[in-house]
Amino acid sequence: MGDLLFELSQWLYTTPLNDFAQSMSESAFSMWLVERFWAIPILQVVHILAIAGTLAAILMMNLRVFGKVGHATLGETAQRYTKVLWWSLVFVIISGVLMLFGDTVRNLLNSVFWIKMVLVVVGILTAISYTRGLARQSASGLDVAGSGAKAGGIFLIILWCVIILAGRWIAYAPS
Amino acid sequence: MYPEPTNLWERIEYSSLGTTIAESTWMFPLLEVFHVIALVTVIGTIAIVDLRLIGVASKGHRVSLLAKDLLPWTWGAFALAALTGGLLFVSKASSYMINPWFLGKMALLALAGLNMMYLHMTTWRTVEHWEVDPSFPTAAKVAGWLSLIFWVGVVFCGRAIGFTLGIYY
Repeated sequence: MGDLLFELSQWLYTTPLNDFAQSMSESAFSMWLVERFWAIPILQVVHILAIAGTLAAILMMNLRVFGKVGHATLGETAQRYTKVLWWSLVFVIISGVLMLFGDTVRNLLNSVFWIKMVLVVVGILTAISYTRGLARQSASGLDVAGSGAKAGGIFLIILWCVIILAGRWIAYAPS
Repeated sequence: MYPEPTNLWERIEYSSLGTTIAESTWMFPLLEVFHVIALVTVIGTIAIVDLRLIGVASKGHRVSLLAKDLLPWTWGAFALAALTGGLLFVSKASSYMINPWFLGKMALLALAGLNMMYLHMTTWRTVEHWEVDPSFPTAAKVAGWLSLIFWVGVVFCGRAIGFTLGIYY
């Protein structure tokens, strides 16, 4: 597995992505970031807080879906935390893209980074489907979530935990 | 072979548990992953209550019900964060103990705990009276703001440790 990922990273160096990563790392913004010691740690703090918002929003919707919290309807809960989820994801993406400028080559030419990106896309698409499903269910007057919503909610929590794992793994994967 | 420990922190670091984690290629990263998952759960769930206390979010909901729903998750995640954090600490105890950002993180954690204890021992005792009011008591708002500040500080110090570990002697 490790060898395969390393070979994949090495292959990335032979693609046009290599030139792109090098030119991105020489951009004025990259230089600006690299010259400021605290810029990346601060962006990482924003990234972590945004992930906290994402996970908390999914957790709150899941608790309602599984009937563990009962003081708001399914529709109210979904509506409230869908907004939190989208705003958190906006900050996850913005801080993530900005951090990319701080360490372009190690990220763009790293197979684990691309695994994380695929997982993030799946995570966002699943979140869209999950929140739409909850909105549809509550619009039809149902205050009890179906098995699809329950399965989707658990999948989302696991998926975002795996995304966190992939995020940490980038720092350790050789590229 | 490890040198003879000269203080408590080195004794912890050179223990069989400390050296096992430090020498493993996967234990430290894996512990970090669980630490991050636990930490974001703690902060996310605490922030929901804090934002209600300061009057920014969940305005139509009773703060006592929100806290009751979330507290088991916050404490469960906090226990996991403490356990994984403790194991991370054991593997590099002497480096952490001379790192000002680590000491700052511990101080902020203590302040966050004291802030929560003070709120629960004072203003929270009458929560059922004031949680239905449009505006919460100043003490509750201050506790919410302080909690948010302390926890953001904890995350900042946590990241700063990663960038400064090993530069202090």
